[in-house]
Amino acid sequence: MIGSAPPSLLAPRGRMPALPAVALAIALHVGVFAAAFVLPRLFDRRPPPRKPIIAHLVALGRPRDPRLLPRKESPPPSAASRPVPVPSTAAAPSTAPPKREPSRSELMQRALARAAGKADTEAREPPDPERAGSASGSVEGTAATAEEGDAYFTAVHDAILEHYVVPSVISERERLYLAASVLAWIGPDGRILRYEFQKKSGNGFFDQALELAIQKTRLPPPPADLVRSLRDNGVLLNFRP
Amino acid sequence: MNLAFLLAVMLAAVDRPVIDLSGGRIQPLPLAIAKPLGSQETGTAIEAVLAQDFERSGLFRLLDPASFLAPPDEGMTGIDYSKWVTVGAQALIKASCDASPDVNCEMRLYDVARGQELLHGTYTAPRPALRLAAHRFGDDVVRFFTREPGVFQTRIAWVRESETGKQVMVSDWDGFGVQPLTGASINLLPSWSPDGRMIAFTSFREGGGAHLYTVDVASRQVRSLIGLGDFSTGASYSPDGSRLLFSASQNDNTDVYVAQADGSGARRITEARGIDISASWSPDGKRVAFVSERAGTPQIYTMAADGSDVRRITFQGNYNQEPAWSPKGDLIAFSGRDEHRVFDLYTVAVDTGKVTRLTQNQGTNEKPAWAPNGRYLLFSSTRSGKRQVWMSQPDGSNQRQVTSEKTGAADPAWGPLPGK
Repeated sequence: MIGSAPPSLLAPRGRMPALPAVALAIALHVGVFAAAFVLPRLFDRRPPPRKPIIAHLVALGRPRDPRLLPRKESPPPSAASRPVPVPSTAAAPSTAPPKREPSRSELMQRALARAAGKADTEAREPPDPERAGSASGSVEGTAATAEEGDAYFTAVHDAILEHYVVPSVISERERLYLAASVLAWIGPDGRILRYEFQKKSGNGFFDQALELAIQKTRLPPPPADLVRSLRDNGVLLNFRP
Repeated sequence: MNLAFLLAVMLAAVDRPVIDLSGGRIQPLPLAIAKPLGSQETGTAIEAVLAQDFERSGLFRLLDPASFLAPPDEGMTGIDYSKWVTVGAQALIKASCDASPDVNCEMRLYDVARGQELLHGTYTAPRPALRLAAHRFGDDVVRFFTREPGVFQTRIAWVRESETGKQVMVSDWDGFGVQPLTGASINLLPSWSPDGRMIAFTSFREGGGAHLYTVDVASRQVRSLIGLGDFSTGASYSPDGSRLLFSASQNDNTDVYVAQADGSGARRITEARGIDISASWSPDGKRVAFVSERAGTPQIYTMAADGSDVRRITFQGNYNQEPAWSPKGDLIAFSGRDEHRVFDLYTVAVDTGKVTRLTQNQGTNEKPAWAPNGRYLLFSSTRSGKRQVWMSQPDGSNQRQVTSEKTGAADPAWGPLPGK
């Protein structure tokens, strides 16, 4: 009995037609590109809102007569304006018990009372009788934009702004055109891991001031859902004077 | 190849948050002036002038030499910048003066963060002009940073007030080197010619009312300029030095006039009833700011240099006077009386009419006069008792006393930049 030999695995087979092969390749490429766009959006959260909360605070008070010349806003009361008792070395030894340091909860209560306007009136600075303001507060309230804001990015904004100094040697004219962008990566503990200029301003002292501001800034740790994004992708800081 | 393209696409897809920051605090640049090398007598004097110039300029914050970590004998090269960075310096100045009879100092400016030299020059002057050598280097430093000329070499004119009269004086911008230009009759309202050689002023020196005179700053020779009407006052040279604005009273009506710089060809350019006075040129010489009572109270107006196209600029307050148009053209400084009947300084933006207050609750403040680079204002103030000349920046910050006259000083006028 003569059996038929099995076909060799090495024997040539029929070739796949060219058109389906090309179509398959195109479909695969399309699939890969689609995955590149779609997958990050599926696995990553929506990028956090970028708009910092902007609150317009206004002084409450009687509006100033527009026919009068303007006044300068009164500066905040200085610490020196309040009399400070001078300790006397010649004072008789007191028999009163040493003053107890306020406890943490007492300090908290005082702070809350102060915030609620219930603080001891003696501790308050007398208001400037000529300070003008708006009786009804801001008519341009920005509560709507606050909803879009994000507390963490507002904190980042404020923390950097605290150290953001523009050297006065830069002329007013030049300040109109200066702009720089810095990409900063933030670690899980809030440390700025590294930063790099995406765009320099062209004024070395302005750029130097930005670097100093970033180096001095201490940020709070980002919320858990932002840790990966801020560590890997960073945050872009656009500076203008 | 496909993989690289894919990576690029994925990187482009990174969507990172963006934070816009603006409104940084404008603060002076931290500057260290190292202990001078070489002749200590000259070096220390130069250092003192530089320190005062930079401090008064409001552009720099001088660091306390006691905090310096670098050795006092650190040279002009081979600088250990890290020691200067540690004390907070962003810029560093070093000077080395030799012991020659004249002033001969090498002075350098360094960028501390980048560790590089920015300016380098040798400054010489006769010994009596030591301050000038320091001022020259100071101006070079200011120009390097601001790209605008500095004012450390400029001079100012003002009026010394005493019981016996009022005398036109000149001094350096910082109040040093005071010299009288006139006698002690009643002399007022000095105004520099753009080349700095002449000062026009109002004087009662010949009796019969106030008239205009000039004094040559170098020779102190006084010459009559204009004696029009019952009185002529408040001369102001045009920016190109070819014309003069002034006010004169004829037939009980005070108006603004324009004349050639030598006083000839006077022509009235205001015609409204009431007083028109205190004219000041715009920096391009095409317009004039002045005070007019045509609306019932003194207010600031502008008009074309031929008297046409009159526009009211101030609408707040009921007594605004002494306009001074800034060299940059955007602001007019003036003094105005507020509701407490006290005169203070203000600026009004020429384009928008926005009025900004510069002084408040510090005595009476009057007669603003701009520095030729527009970065400072001189004015008179009674805040320290007798009226004295003070200076500030155009936003009212960095106010500093310039004169310390026992009997008082007023009517300041800032001279031109050197070489004009």
